[in-house]
Amino acid sequence: MSRTDVKKPSLCTTGPLTKEMISQAVSAFSKIMRSCYGPTGRLKQFHNGTGGYVRISSQSSVLLSSLCVTLPVLKLLVASVQNHLALFRDSGLFTAIFCCSLLEKYQSLNVAPCTFIKISKHVLSLCIDYLSSETCGCRIPVDFSSSKLLLSLVRSIILSKRACMLSRKEADHISILVLKAFLLTIPQNTDSGAVLGKCLYIPVKNKRVMDSTIYPGLLIEMPELYLTLPLKRTASGLIRVALFGMSMSGDLSHAGEGAIIIHHGVSPEAEMLDQLLNVGRQVITDGVGLVICQKVIHPTLKQYLKENNIVAVERVGIRMMEPLKEMTGSQPIPSLQFLSPACYGHLKDLQAQCFDSKWFLHLIPDEPVVCSLLLCNRNETAWDELKLACQTAEHVLQLTVKDPWILLGGGCTETHVSSYIKHKSWSVTESTLEDLCCSSEEFHLVTDCFCHSLESIARSLEHDSGDVLIDTHWGHSWSIPPNIPSDSDWSDFVQKCGCGLCSKQEGLNWKMLNCCSVSFLPQNCVHESCVTSADNLVLDCFAAKRNGLQVAVETAHLILDLSHIIEDHN
Amino acid sequence: MAFRNMNRKRHIGLQELSALASTGRTLLGPMKLSKFIVDESIPGGVLIYSPLRLLENLDLSSAVGQLLNEAIQAQNKDYKTGMTTLLFLVSTWSNAILECLQHDVPLSVMVAVMSEGLNSCIEQVQCITLSLHNIQQKLMEIPIECSDRSLINNRSDPSSIWQFTDIKKTVSKSDSGILNLLKNELSEEKLEDHTIQQANDMNPGTPTINSTTCLLSESMNTNFVVSVCKRMIQKNSDLHNYNVDALTYNRRSKVTHSRYFSNVNNCHSTQQTIQLDGCPKHFDRLSDLEQLALSLSHGNESAMKLVQDILRCQLAGASQQTDTCPFQFNISEIVTCCLSGISESHSCVHPGYITLVCPAKAAAVKQLQDMPVRVILADGDLTETYHHLGFNRLENMSMFSESLSHSKASSNLWVDFIMDILIQSNINLILVQGDTCKILEEKCLLHKIVIINHVDHNVLKAFSNITRAERVTYISQVNEHCIGKGICMSLCGTLELNLVEVDGQIPLALTAEGLRLVTVVLCCPFMSKMQAMEDQFWTCVYRLHHALLDQAVFPGGGAVELLCLSFLEKLEKAIPNSTGQFHSASSWFAKSSEQYKSLVLNALARGWRQYLFAVMGNAANYRSEFETSTVIQRHLRRAAMYGSPSAYILEEFKKGKIGGSPEHARIDGRALKVCDNVTAKIEAWRRALELVLLVLQTDAEIIVGPKRDELLKSQDSCGFLFL
Repeated sequence: MSRTDVKKPSLCTTGPLTKEMISQAVSAFSKIMRSCYGPTGRLKQFHNGTGGYVRISSQSSVLLSSLCVTLPVLKLLVASVQNHLALFRDSGLFTAIFCCSLLEKYQSLNVAPCTFIKISKHVLSLCIDYLSSETCGCRIPVDFSSSKLLLSLVRSIILSKRACMLSRKEADHISILVLKAFLLTIPQNTDSGAVLGKCLYIPVKNKRVMDSTIYPGLLIEMPELYLTLPLKRTASGLIRVALFGMSMSGDLSHAGEGAIIIHHGVSPEAEMLDQLLNVGRQVITDGVGLVICQKVIHPTLKQYLKENNIVAVERVGIRMMEPLKEMTGSQPIPSLQFLSPACYGHLKDLQAQCFDSKWFLHLIPDEPVVCSLLLCNRNETAWDELKLACQTAEHVLQLTVKDPWILLGGGCTETHVSSYIKHKSWSVTESTLEDLCCSSEEFHLVTDCFCHSLESIARSLEHDSGDVLIDTHWGHSWSIPPNIPSDSDWSDFVQKCGCGLCSKQEGLNWKMLNCCSVSFLPQNCVHESCVTSADNLVLDCFAAKRNGLQVAVETAHLILDLSHIIEDHN
Repeated sequence: MAFRNMNRKRHIGLQELSALASTGRTLLGPMKLSKFIVDESIPGGVLIYSPLRLLENLDLSSAVGQLLNEAIQAQNKDYKTGMTTLLFLVSTWSNAILECLQHDVPLSVMVAVMSEGLNSCIEQVQCITLSLHNIQQKLMEIPIECSDRSLINNRSDPSSIWQFTDIKKTVSKSDSGILNLLKNELSEEKLEDHTIQQANDMNPGTPTINSTTCLLSESMNTNFVVSVCKRMIQKNSDLHNYNVDALTYNRRSKVTHSRYFSNVNNCHSTQQTIQLDGCPKHFDRLSDLEQLALSLSHGNESAMKLVQDILRCQLAGASQQTDTCPFQFNISEIVTCCLSGISESHSCVHPGYITLVCPAKAAAVKQLQDMPVRVILADGDLTETYHHLGFNRLENMSMFSESLSHSKASSNLWVDFIMDILIQSNINLILVQGDTCKILEEKCLLHKIVIINHVDHNVLKAFSNITRAERVTYISQVNEHCIGKGICMSLCGTLELNLVEVDGQIPLALTAEGLRLVTVVLCCPFMSKMQAMEDQFWTCVYRLHHALLDQAVFPGGGAVELLCLSFLEKLEKAIPNSTGQFHSASSWFAKSSEQYKSLVLNALARGWRQYLFAVMGNAANYRSEFETSTVIQRHLRRAAMYGSPSAYILEEFKKGKIGGSPEHARIDGRALKVCDNVTAKIEAWRRALELVLLVLQTDAEIIVGPKRDELLKSQDSCGFLFL
């Protein structure tokens, strides 16, 4: 029976940002994002309220994918940050906070959206040009001959994810492992289009972080591992590998649709098993020493292979297939008919490794471009968080190879760029104003809004109600305890700037962030102080942050440009 | 998405955590108070001794409850002990932190100081671990003795035999560390005498091998002596070198989990079987281990007695065995068989595998008794429709046949097919991990083939290892490699079990030459206590297992916690240390932490202080909390005056002032010392603090899924924010 409903009219909201409900939601969203930012950020519990798995996290990718927002404006915002994360994996919170901050600050301005958009576009291009220029005072060129900077970069990323629950020492250990893993994925000979290898994360939950280690090659967990020594090897001493991308369980699951009728006494299972055993015979005559199957291997075939001194590994899963293919040089065999010696790959050696009373088969390739990171953490949610952090760090290292620059972290880049923009905006020319079709007043209003939004990110790093200062020489950010009287000497309270590159010295002046005063051109401290001598720097990924900045501004523009939201409720 | 801010005035999450965790406070200590849970679905209710079972019976639908449960489960999975400690500390630490929040301590300072404080405490307590070095060394001697003799016997020089055995004797004489502490007979002079004597003993009789025993009596600012015997052997002749190398190599080898790999290198020298002739040394070793076991029992003496029996069984097995080297306390080869309705006094340990069988099978067994049988080990079900994991049956397949009779006979056909294989291979016994088709079972009985269902995976593995028979999934796989030989079946092997008949079922014992599998028969008159008994037994097993893995134990009865308290007292007074503990050195936390440090460290100390109240209170029969607190204060004051608190605490432990067990656990008239596991305890501390800090740092709950809509409509919706 069919039913007909009257079509409901669509819901149209005009001037969405002026609606109180929406601006409230944006500010709530912004509050959530801010509260998670930085190494002392607060954590969020995600659960379904009925006693399922509880995820604790402060990372943007988890936050955004778990928050199921219903408001169209927020949906737009979340989607654009997620797109940024899909490409860069880092600076998601930065992007979201900056975008929200622009939107919130815009509301208190009395400027037309199109003017705001034009001016902030201009300011954005100033920022991007500055970040890309040689004179930029907040980026450090990467010296790949030393691991120090890269290690600091990785450590900054790992430490900014509080839900990993790492101590300083543990974070150092993990950072070294991540950097090692990255180096292991770089191929030795780069003649023919070098492609980076893969790092696989092997979960070992409920163990101490310090037990984490790394192996070149691949580790496959085996519930019951037996290696019948000596292994079967080819004349050249290698182990021949057959990789099956199909199920060898002996079923007929891929028979397709429609009814199958067979005569009594015919056993399709026995037929299948015969075929499998034929494959087994073929593999034996070809001198294969290791059979790996993505899915299940029939017990009879397994027994047969074992009796013939062949190591059989089953159920490795689809995730492992690509690295296995890459590492052994074999072609996954898609069906029993396509078995040919050309498909075989090879390995240098096979070993059994015991780790935390679990057995792993260690596949050792000729040239290691694949590595396995045995990652330990004490509980489920902390492990998930740590894995995500490691993946982010790994990706950031890859981005850094492409764009060999690193930005200062700890809020220093934001305050530095902000003071640069402020300084630039004082000397704005008439012709620029004409190009932008705005008054000088409007220009300064929007520029200030932009700068305050940037500074508010630096302020978001502070979660224990402390205050943030900016020095008037380098434009770095410095944090101080709460409730300090404004007439006191700041130098009694500051130690080091946010990124750790500058320390307090004679003649340095500070002012409160947001406090209006004469603008200054921030100096470059990267050349002055020796970057390599400083320990424990807080650093940020250049490519990710630059893109985040652009995405945030453009998303804000898009949202400001919305005049109607039309929702179809059918 | 529903969003609830947790950090209003007081942290809701921490309050919830503290409330949940405080339910387990009475479960701490040797004289724990059990809980009785009444549930309509379980007739008779359940007795509860462990936090694990307690949490199973609580409503844990809240996020914090889930996290707590997860932590307890993880601790249980790894150690089977320390869960009560975890629960207790979670409760006291979350209370202490709530108080700190009232004093406006910045959260990040709290997190940093607390985790740093715990880390330094953990470093500190490492210095009072009691090494098990000697026990392990002694255990190693069992197979080594075999190998030594076989090596020595290959040569015809009789004098050298004496040299080797001399070395062995002196090594075993130089007991130190835990053994002496446990036996109450450590005195430094005595120990030094011993070693000097050893050196003297060896020098005259060793013309070819110059062995020197160095005693490094080094103590980390304590007078507790850790002695390390180093044998420096000058290599004179090639032949000797080989033997000596083998000897020292074996001694060095550590306990490992492995059966397959780690022994590969060690096995080369043991080809000959030599029976140990029950020398007194053998019993020495055992009694050391037994004493260690008892000191770890924490009030579960009866369960620990069973563990001791297992040790006896496994040691006896090990000394006969030819192919494995160092003795391992193998927990994977222990199975339990629970019989309820029988007095606890019938609980016993039996070598081999014990299970209950019906009278019909028992009758068949009777005929096969005491003769080696041929066995198949099947790791699936024995039914026609059973397929291995990952086999997908076709839904759209149907059979057709010309005559009707075929389809009826099809299942008979399968049974006949299986029977053919079984009869042809002359099988007497099948151990099946799953179920068996009833018709097959009956048919087999007619042919005197006994099928035992629901056999544990570990049991199959043990039999597979000893008989070298491959496990099969299908009977059609069976070939000569898959048939185990040499297994003996007998009905009720021991007298104690003779009387036992449960539901008309009769216990059957399966044994084999060299089989190290041990079955523990746990008897309990009440159904409601059965699970608790089994839990307690496994806890005891794991405590001993981890003590041997760690190669060390802590002095128990609160000694470690006392050291932590005295250390924290010192730390509070100490000059504030560097800013290195904070993630960003720039932050103002360093300054601020000076201000709040003593407050936060005091909160950390409160956890252990409360723990001591509970443990000492119920172990030493102090009547009031006030009395306990006086005792603790006195200890702390004296420890501070003593110079080295760890030395003081060890001294008190030796005297029995700390860690003496209650009256009823005395051996040879002396009170037994209580010991704790090292890693299990430290991990419990870490897990507890980590959980509390994790909840502390959480400022919002985000509820996703269908529950969101429920909340939107409910009355509580004002407490939430919907995006």
